[in-house]
Amino acid sequence: MSEFRQITVSKTGVSKLAILVLAIVFAAGLFVVGFDQGHVFSLVYGEQAYTDLYIHELTHDMRHAAGFPCH
Amino acid sequence: MKTFLFIVIVLFSGAFAGLIHGTVNFAIVEPYLDQAIGIENQNLFESGEEKDSTKFWVEYEGYRVWQKSGQILAGVILGTSMGALFGIVFALSRNSLPGNNDIKKALVLAGIMWFTIYLIPFLKYPANPPTVGDAETVVLRVILYLSFIAISGIGAIIFYKLSHKFQNKKKFVSLIGYGIFISVVFFIMPENPDEITAPMNLVNEFRIMSVLGVSSFWISIGIILGFLWNRFESNKDTIKYS
Repeated sequence: MSEFRQITVSKTGVSKLAILVLAIVFAAGLFVVGFDQGHVFSLVYGEQAYTDLYIHELTHDMRHAAGFPCH
Repeated sequence: MKTFLFIVIVLFSGAFAGLIHGTVNFAIVEPYLDQAIGIENQNLFESGEEKDSTKFWVEYEGYRVWQKSGQILAGVILGTSMGALFGIVFALSRNSLPGNNDIKKALVLAGIMWFTIYLIPFLKYPANPPTVGDAETVVLRVILYLSFIAISGIGAIIFYKLSHKFQNKKKFVSLIGYGIFISVVFFIMPENPDEITAPMNLVNEFRIMSVLGVSSFWISIGIILGFLWNRFESNKDTIKYS
């Protein structure tokens, strides 16, 4: 009588495309929450965005709470 | 795992963990932020920069509501961002992480990343509430903070890679090497140039809450991504042998 055992072998392959997409998400998200001082909206609203600071104000509390220098 | 599925579960894990982080902050950090902003307002009135008027308070309430409501949304954005980094590192290092399932492996990695790219930099450049920090030095502080995070994270990767050359004393060598390296960097890096002008008990309590909030993110991302990876990974081969 033979005894069968089974093992599960897991292989991990990570595509370069996935790494590229995630690296872009990482950099963009970090910039928006941690460092934007009107830069993102200035692409649409011009210089006024540096005065309005909408994203800065929106992320203000998280910026302090997560340890990023804010102002 | 298929590329699209991998990206989706990584981003979902990050966003969900970020939602938890934002919610925890909303509950435990916001009271300290309100207190610090109250002091900041008093300083503005005393210095004559602002008048304690109805106009001021209407304007203040307007942007303060925006700031508070942004706590959770910013948590989701930051969580998605950090989750993306976590997903990349997890995918690349999963086979060499200790643990007999993906949740344990992801929690181990979350612990390592929490320690190297959050706690160590935090000990050098701790979080500060509003009213602490000179706007003139913000660029310098950002550069110092980011540099320390990058040095600590890259240092950890280098010592991990080096540890492969010392199979028998793998953990010992990498840990001691990283410990010495980061201690030297810790003392070489310049101090935060700003003086702390707020009451120290407020600053210290704020910092403790900040650590708890960020820690909630790292615990959550480990559990969520580990669970989803386990659930959706289809690239497993089952081998029967006798």
